[in-house]
Amino acid sequence: MTDTPRKTARSSAAAKKPATRKVATGKATARTAADRKTVSARRDAPAAIVTHKPAAVLIVGAGFAGLGMAIRLQQAGVTDIIILERGTDVGGTWRDNQYPGAACDIPSNLYSYSFAQNPNWSRSFSGSREILGYIHHLVKEFGLERYIRFGKNVQELKFDEKKGLWSATTAEGEVFSGRAAVMAQGPLSNASFPDMPGINEYKGHKIHSARWDHSYDFRGKKVAVIGTGASAIQIIPELVKEVEHLTVFQRTPGWVMPRPDFETPEWNKEIFRKLPFTQSALRQALYLAHESMALAVIWSSPLTRVAERVGRWHLHNQVKDRWMRRQLTPNYRIGCKRVLISNDYYPALQKPNCKLITWPIYTLCENGIRTVEGIEHQFDCIVFATGFEVSKAGTPFPVTGVGGRQLNDEWSRGAQAYKSINVAGYPNLFMTFGPNSGPGHNSALVYMESQLDYAVRGIQKILGENLKMLDVKPHVQKQYNEGIQKRLAKTNWNSGCMSWYLTEDGFNATMYPGFATQYANQMKEFREKDYLVVPG
Amino acid sequence: MAMIDLDKMLEKVKATQWALADIDWDAPGAELVTKEQWPQLKDFMVDLMWIEHVGARGFAAMAKKAPTETLRQLYSYFHAEEQRHANAEMALMKRWGMLEGDELPEPNINIRLVIEWLDRYADGMPYYVLGTVIPMLEVALDGALCTFLLESVNDPVCHQAFEKINDDESRHLGVGFTVMEMQGHNKTSIQMVKMMAPMLDPRLLLGIASYLPLLNKMRDNVVKMGLPEEKLYAAMNKFKRIGGRTAEGRRNPWYQFIQHHGSIMVKRSNRFYHIPVDAAVKVTGLIPRRMLPAVPSWVKELTWQPTA
Repeated sequence: MTDTPRKTARSSAAAKKPATRKVATGKATARTAADRKTVSARRDAPAAIVTHKPAAVLIVGAGFAGLGMAIRLQQAGVTDIIILERGTDVGGTWRDNQYPGAACDIPSNLYSYSFAQNPNWSRSFSGSREILGYIHHLVKEFGLERYIRFGKNVQELKFDEKKGLWSATTAEGEVFSGRAAVMAQGPLSNASFPDMPGINEYKGHKIHSARWDHSYDFRGKKVAVIGTGASAIQIIPELVKEVEHLTVFQRTPGWVMPRPDFETPEWNKEIFRKLPFTQSALRQALYLAHESMALAVIWSSPLTRVAERVGRWHLHNQVKDRWMRRQLTPNYRIGCKRVLISNDYYPALQKPNCKLITWPIYTLCENGIRTVEGIEHQFDCIVFATGFEVSKAGTPFPVTGVGGRQLNDEWSRGAQAYKSINVAGYPNLFMTFGPNSGPGHNSALVYMESQLDYAVRGIQKILGENLKMLDVKPHVQKQYNEGIQKRLAKTNWNSGCMSWYLTEDGFNATMYPGFATQYANQMKEFREKDYLVVPG
Repeated sequence: MAMIDLDKMLEKVKATQWALADIDWDAPGAELVTKEQWPQLKDFMVDLMWIEHVGARGFAAMAKKAPTETLRQLYSYFHAEEQRHANAEMALMKRWGMLEGDELPEPNINIRLVIEWLDRYADGMPYYVLGTVIPMLEVALDGALCTFLLESVNDPVCHQAFEKINDDESRHLGVGFTVMEMQGHNKTSIQMVKMMAPMLDPRLLLGIASYLPLLNKMRDNVVKMGLPEEKLYAAMNKFKRIGGRTAEGRRNPWYQFIQHHGSIMVKRSNRFYHIPVDAAVKVTGLIPRRMLPAVPSWVKELTWQPTA
């Protein structure tokens, strides 16, 4: 698991399907009396519309972003918050991605909130269970249970310009509303099987990496993994230990870098506990080290060549067979796609019970996968590590703004926002991981913190000055995006490879073309003159 | 041949895939291969299969060098399709009792040398060199060897397999000739001379040194088996005719070079060419096998089994 969202399949049609989720059984969470009432009301009359009292802030999603938003709002004195979560547990990405080997590829000391540091990380790169544990700890530490409404799958967000209220309608027909709304549903939270020919004909077991089937016994099975992205390279080394035979189907090889992963000794944790500034210092050092990687990953520079050399050295060092090295050598510039980090992926591929296949897949069939070299590869189980569905529109549910405008329509040729967080025509709405906010080189949570603090400032203004609308001016948004696209043209992401960062037309609505420090600086400043203000 | 729309071709290639499992390799008809045919047919099939396989590796090298994403994908498919042809030909050999156990048929020394060269240097060769050599080999395969095979063997399964193989090959040729024309498009004299500059590259010279004896040996093998020489002349003429149909095609210096070489290669009467190349065949035949490095792992990917 990476710290930033990943995706491979692009399907606007698929995105329209209501997403189904298998969720990890989490600890019991408190529900409000209102919720219990709603549930019982629903049992009696499922179609009845239940409208709840408006809150100050409505947050969609209880993952890192939604919970972080609630913490920052709470710290700023805003406590009238409702968080709508479609699952039965918090954690979002880290709750869903529980496949074997799932871990973050950013050091945990950097992949955590600076305002809630954890001295107890067991390793430099923690696994998904430990990260989920950290998220549970945040909920407990900051008393966030009271805000969360579980099992509320938002189907629509709509702005009422007369009242200056955002309302969210759930799948059950309940309506929640808030003066301000925060879309923290995660940019890539919907996972489904890819649209591959013959996928429905396959009669064996199918597992998606983001919806792992923990009940399936892999022992003695012939298993395929489709995909060699960030999830796959973590799954493969674990699966190969269990299965009888593993076949890995690769379309495009990624750049794989060594992973400096160490266990944190007890004395080190003790120092962090007793002298928290030492952990902050380490965090700062890690931050700067990652910032320097931008020079290699985001833009083409001499450091890019150095990084590629390190990648090739890693490959050469771990893979002895010339043909296999050729199969695993990327033919695009490093950084153009997500850079992968692993020490055990290449060795796993060379295990006697593992085989790498690079022939194109042309169809799935009843018993397995047919590739173009004419062979039918038969399996008991196929693991799809094929990423997430991404709608071209970029919104997982309809979002209706001023005058009935639809965000899906406006974003049909690529998503755009102002500073990734506000969109003109959708007042009082804040997005986490909105358009062009993705990092390629640093912790997503660093970016997220800047977004949360910006949103707090906007929300404080709305609530403090009792505004009906705080809406970014269209020309400001346009000007901002022209600048972003101009800068993106010079980056490695736009250097010619096909990646999920780009739409089918080659438009990059995903990544931020700069250092995390630049992003944080732009988010530090809340320029009121960029907004249209309508008093309440 | 007019230039084809490569994007449409890619769609067509994707839509017309087949697998070995689509053919019933145990269907009746294997007995139609006569006892007299069997030994020579075995040698022929071994050569054919290995040529398909080295052709596959050639496409793999072209995929690395392709100037557009469409061509890169096309060559990736063609790489796999040539492998499929080699696999299918092995499945036919299995059907006819020409394989010993699960062992791969032994490639002749000249094939081994070409495999070594491809493994080491093919990825470093300019795109237009392989882009011209491969269509020439495919015309020879498609127009002469496969036609001859189908005329001599009555086994219906062989015909069924080669119908599919030939459909694939015709698409490979369509793309091959289009690319040859693209390479000649708008080329100035200086650019054309530059295109021939790799002739001074020792790696390419080494490639030519291993390729020429292979062609001569194969040529003699198929003629010995009964392939009329006229069929080879006709195939080379086809290459000359289609490749040189447009001014762009004719302006590609590699087309000119390969088509001249093709004509010389098939005509035994040209002693200036054949005496030294035949000598090279003899000399290479003296190379002890143990001096050659182990076969690269891509060779071991070949299989006659429709399922894995």
